[in-house]
Amino acid sequence: MTRKQRRLALIGVSLGVLGLAAALVLSALKESIVFFNSPTDVIEKRVAAGTRIRLGGLVKPGSLIRGDNLLIRFEVTDGNREIPVTYRGGVPDLFREGQGVVAEGALDSAGTFRADTILAKHDEKYMPREVADALKRQGHWNEDSGKRTGAAGPVRPQ
Amino acid sequence: MIAELGHYALVLALGLALIQGIVPIVGARSRDPVLMGVAGTTALAQFAFVAIAFTALTLCYVISDFSVVNVFENSHSAMPLVYKITSVWGNHEGSMLLWVLILSLFGTLVAIFGANLPLTLKANVLGVQSWIAAAFYLFILVTSNPFLRLQNAPLEGRDLNPILQDIGLAIHPPLLYLGYVGLSITFSFAIAALIEGRIDAAWARWVRPWTLAAWICLTLGIAMGSYWAYYELGWGGWWFWDPVENASFMPWLAGTALLHSAVVMEKRNALKVWTILLAILAFSLSLIGTFLVRSGVLTSVHAFATDPTRGVFILAILTAFIGGGLALFAWRARMLKQGGLFAPISREGALIFNNLFLTSACATVFIGTLYPLALETLTGAKISVGAPFFNATFAPLFIPLLVVVPFGPLMAWKRGDLYGVAQRLLGALATAVIAIAVTFAIAGGGSLLAPFMIGLAFYVMVGAITDLAERTSLFRVPAALSLLRARGLARSVWGTALAHFGLGVTLLGIVFETQWGAERIEAMNPTQTVSIRGYDLTFDGIMQRGGPNYRELAAKFTVRSGGVVIGILEPSKRSFPSRDTSTTEAALMTRGLSQLYLSLGDPNPDGSIAVRLYHKPLVLLIWLGTVVMALGGALSLSDRRLRVGAPRPATPKTALQPAE
Amino acid sequence: MTFWTVFTLMTAAAVFAVLWPLRRRDIAVRSGSDVAVYHDQLDEIERDRAAGLIGKAETEAARVEVSRRLLAAADSAEVAQSVSDGKPAVRRRRAVAVAALLLLPVGAGGFYLSLGSPGILTEPLAYRLNTPPEQRSIEGMVARVEAHLERNPEDGRGWEVLAPIYLQSGRFDDAVKAWRNVLRLLGQSAEREANLGEALIAAANGIVTAEAKAAFDRAVAIDANAASARYYLGLAAEQDGRREEAAKIWRDLIARAPADAHWVGFVREALAQAEGKPVDNKPAAGAPGPSAQDMEAAAKLPPEQQTAMIRGMVDRLVERLKTDGSDLDGWLRLVRSYKVLGETDKARAAAADARRALAGEPDKVRRLDEAMKAFGLEG
Repeated sequence: MTRKQRRLALIGVSLGVLGLAAALVLSALKESIVFFNSPTDVIEKRVAAGTRIRLGGLVKPGSLIRGDNLLIRFEVTDGNREIPVTYRGGVPDLFREGQGVVAEGALDSAGTFRADTILAKHDEKYMPREVADALKRQGHWNEDSGKRTGAAGPVRPQ
Repeated sequence: MIAELGHYALVLALGLALIQGIVPIVGARSRDPVLMGVAGTTALAQFAFVAIAFTALTLCYVISDFSVVNVFENSHSAMPLVYKITSVWGNHEGSMLLWVLILSLFGTLVAIFGANLPLTLKANVLGVQSWIAAAFYLFILVTSNPFLRLQNAPLEGRDLNPILQDIGLAIHPPLLYLGYVGLSITFSFAIAALIEGRIDAAWARWVRPWTLAAWICLTLGIAMGSYWAYYELGWGGWWFWDPVENASFMPWLAGTALLHSAVVMEKRNALKVWTILLAILAFSLSLIGTFLVRSGVLTSVHAFATDPTRGVFILAILTAFIGGGLALFAWRARMLKQGGLFAPISREGALIFNNLFLTSACATVFIGTLYPLALETLTGAKISVGAPFFNATFAPLFIPLLVVVPFGPLMAWKRGDLYGVAQRLLGALATAVIAIAVTFAIAGGGSLLAPFMIGLAFYVMVGAITDLAERTSLFRVPAALSLLRARGLARSVWGTALAHFGLGVTLLGIVFETQWGAERIEAMNPTQTVSIRGYDLTFDGIMQRGGPNYRELAAKFTVRSGGVVIGILEPSKRSFPSRDTSTTEAALMTRGLSQLYLSLGDPNPDGSIAVRLYHKPLVLLIWLGTVVMALGGALSLSDRRLRVGAPRPATPKTALQPAE
Repeated sequence: MTFWTVFTLMTAAAVFAVLWPLRRRDIAVRSGSDVAVYHDQLDEIERDRAAGLIGKAETEAARVEVSRRLLAAADSAEVAQSVSDGKPAVRRRRAVAVAALLLLPVGAGGFYLSLGSPGILTEPLAYRLNTPPEQRSIEGMVARVEAHLERNPEDGRGWEVLAPIYLQSGRFDDAVKAWRNVLRLLGQSAEREANLGEALIAAANGIVTAEAKAAFDRAVAIDANAASARYYLGLAAEQDGRREEAAKIWRDLIARAPADAHWVGFVREALAQAEGKPVDNKPAAGAPGPSAQDMEAAAKLPPEQQTAMIRGMVDRLVERLKTDGSDLDGWLRLVRSYKVLGETDKARAAAADARRALAGEPDKVRRLDEAMKAFGLEG
């Protein structure tokens, strides 16, 4: 092989690997991304039952009910609408009434959100950012508490 | 006064950095050794002044001087001393100060140990390094100043985020920064080479120790962060593909690729353009890692809106160094001469294969990390790209790489013998097949993927040993001779083998933990017993305890195995009143290389408490493997070849001694 | 050594770092070169061959390759040797020296003065804690007591000192916690229960919650003459729409009051309102049960802020009623609040909601209808 041919072969192989990577990225993006929705979004966009989404908002004060065997029920609110959520299992430290929460799962036919994950964001803000954004959009963001949590400092300094 | 001295020291460092960024480079252009010599003393002085600034801030933390805003916001007088010190870098401003401290330290190291470098290269490297430093000093002073003061000092501080009050966090960021910043030296070398327009095999050898040192620190830093997340977050996970983690992983992937391509450059004078590009990219990813994570941009585009000065400054720095670096590269890369020739099947070929897959894997991580951000900026839609994405893209790219790993060191330079190498790897292949069969039999059917991955891990490990065995002609010559040869082997050979072996070890741990870990989540009442994998845990009761700045709800569990008490586990939940938050302290019991992992959830109204219990088989191998990798790196770093090339007392050995 | 001496010394050190290398006229600088690296690579090839790691042909090829590099490097090294020491070089060095002597101190000093606060002294915590008490702010004392309680959370007296300060400084939740601790650690008393109730009201933005009412009930049970508890019980009744009962409680309270009780006037005012006409022109008074301080504070607020305050309370109430529709008192308060705000449509809508929510309880519905009549919102 001449130098030129070798170079062409090298470029060909590189493009092949990059193509493979691109194909993997595209297929994975199609299958594994999850859209984030606030309760208002869910209701307005009529998210279909069974579609995997992330639901974010505040745990509505007074709505948390602990059942048997680690079953919990609560409502997620963005100040406008509420969606009832059920979840079985342990919840993160920062999960409590009036605090931000992100639940991953799907709606059932009765309109209840069955969460299989309650996110423990080890994020630098105690308020998951999607939740903060959603609340801001709904005009329910309390700048004061936002500042307070914002000043909490990063969790993983890097 | 302490804080003000620190503040002024930082300003002086900026002044020195500006001088060091100009004078030596002018000196290099005009070949004036005196001007080039300025770089050495200013680099030392810069480090001294940044060290003063850092010490001053640390002192303010130690004595709880809340007239310093940064101390007030991130410390509390009741905190134990060690956390007072670690809070220095537990926040944005302080961590940036740590960043420049390490940056100036590396500059000093080049000034001191760079005696083997040609004078002009050294001057240019230190000059470029100083540009980076100047940009950062300015960034800190203008937008993230840790030395701002309050007229009336509050009596109590706001405390450090409780989740950071942990010893793992004390070591993790400095290690990671050593890695990030270490790559800045490689970047400076690349830019200096482009400025000089001359780059050759010797360059690769000069850069190698710095890249290697950075890589070791980055490896350990990432491992440390992973272990911290594992025991502190209470969820038993050790890698979340979280943007913060990805930000440290991307420079590691690029740095690993760089280490390998630099080998080709050093030995064969080939891949020069690519290596320079990688050096620029690796540091660019470090910058992105530092900045985007630090500034919160990765978690929200709105961070720019809330603090526009900082955001614009960050963008400017990123553009200047990444964009400027790449532009210079595009302009000057053509001047680099072509290097040595080689066949596709050769050591060089294997290393290119390594680079291709590492960089592609890095690119997928990059896309997965930044895609949500881009999409949100463009369309406003919020998505999350989670672990499934990364597992689906990263693993398929990493598996072929692992298959090729043992081939690399066994392959000859220029033209390799694929068949011959495969024959020598028969032992490794056989081990892999046996491992697959055994695991498949024990696991009792099911997916073939897990046994295959186990086989792959064994193949990589035995492959690494095969390389050593081949080089020492083990079992083919008398043992004593083999031993002699082993002693004669260059340390970098041992380093390579060890690092590759460590990779296999980590893989083994990952497969075991993900495939055969057990998990139970239960609501338990006192005296109840729960069993997992032959361990019986009895819940003895709950107690309240006080700590220096927190209160603790601890639960006591007795662990029995086969009826015999083997230990006590005391997981707890700590609540920190000054921040009104709580943390979960998981309890771990190590049995061999496996661990029992127990963490508490919330107490229920009926008096029971939620308990998460995991059995994690061979989980420690994950981190043990990374330590082995880092050890391999350290061994390679200690190779005498990296030190030679320094001017020795004139030894008229060959006729080619240049005139001096 | 003073502050400024140290600054000057630091500046001098920085300038010195630049000037030191410039002092040399010309020097044989130690410099590495790539030639050394290639020599080493040749040695290495030799060692590898000796160890039998590479074959003869490979050795030869590698040796040729490295030798070629070596030659090239040696050539360029010779070219690079020219060290300029002419006039331009001297001029450049002088320029650098002048820049270091002038620009560095002036630039650094100026920049620092624009950023720093040289006037503020170091204030370690230990130093501040030892300053005499009269120089300390309330905030400072609170911090001290808090620090003390952090170490001794079982010190009830500490909590008792802290609780009223919390209430005054608007940290209502902390005040509630503090009073709970006092009650737990020091035992019950009418006054403490009443204080807890007051804190709970403040935390609930002026609404006498069931929890607060329970605290007042306990206080009255201990001491029937507990004035503030009785006042708030009256307020509770008033907020629930039982104005008669409220008036009765307050009348009783005034009757039993000691002659010099300063709060009598305040209760009279409340009583007058409870007995008198609906208070459309005074929205603040319509807001459910603020404490004495709140009343004063609210009265000082401009009208739009008063309205905002009520709005806040109403929103919270709506939230709560959505989850617990059986709370008749809450509904009544809501209806009345809307009326105060002049939104009769919403008041009617709320009443309709209430009827739906209370459908299973005819008793409550009847009381609701009665109240609606009293509000003048029939139909």
